[in-house]
Amino acid sequence: MEHFGSMLALAAPLGLGLAAVGSAYGIGRAVGSAMEAMGRQPEAAGKIQVAMIIGAAFIEALTIYVFIAYFVAMGKLG
Amino acid sequence: MTQPTKTTLGFDFILRSLKTTGILLLLCLVFVSPYAGFYTALAIMSAGIWSMINLYFLVALVRAAIRPGQLDKIQVAVLAFVKFPLLYLAGYFLLKIEVFGLLPLLIGFSLPLAVVVLKVVSRVLLGMDNTPTNNQLNEAL
Repeated sequence: MEHFGSMLALAAPLGLGLAAVGSAYGIGRAVGSAMEAMGRQPEAAGKIQVAMIIGAAFIEALTIYVFIAYFVAMGKLG
Repeated sequence: MTQPTKTTLGFDFILRSLKTTGILLLLCLVFVSPYAGFYTALAIMSAGIWSMINLYFLVALVRAAIRPGQLDKIQVAVLAFVKFPLLYLAGYFLLKIEVFGLLPLLIGFSLPLAVVVLKVVSRVLLGMDNTPTNNQLNEAL
């Protein structure tokens, strides 16, 4: 247990970084697919954009949750 | 008899969700404040408003950046500048404020998304986006 603090200090920023990379990949894929769909069906662009925005907002929220978890972990470190 | 207005899952859906979130936040401020304390209610309210502004700017940015015709680069740049550095800096300061607990902030950040999810679930349960199939149309005829 004595190394708990050091492990947490290493794991928290690492986890935050991984979450950021995952979110960036997710948003990139979502927007890329939405662009493709809009190119194929321009008349449905409005609906596709709304779905894309909601998806992007959810992915962004996940990163915010990880950021809050990071703050909690940092609070434990003191 | 008046016909009920048909609502669509367009940009107005997000604006309606934001309006609902605003009402919900006001209710939170009124009802959470006596039970959990003023700062808890204020933390939920601040995080909720931050999340609403974030979603609004996301919509504005997407609408400005992805549209047919000439792109207004200055508008896109201004929206991107407000959304990314300024708004995220404000979110960071919200998290850094000592009197605001992390759990109320988490609830506030999630509130607009919870509203969106509940609205979509209600649309699915009520079948508001269902289009009649050919068989159903034939049966009706």
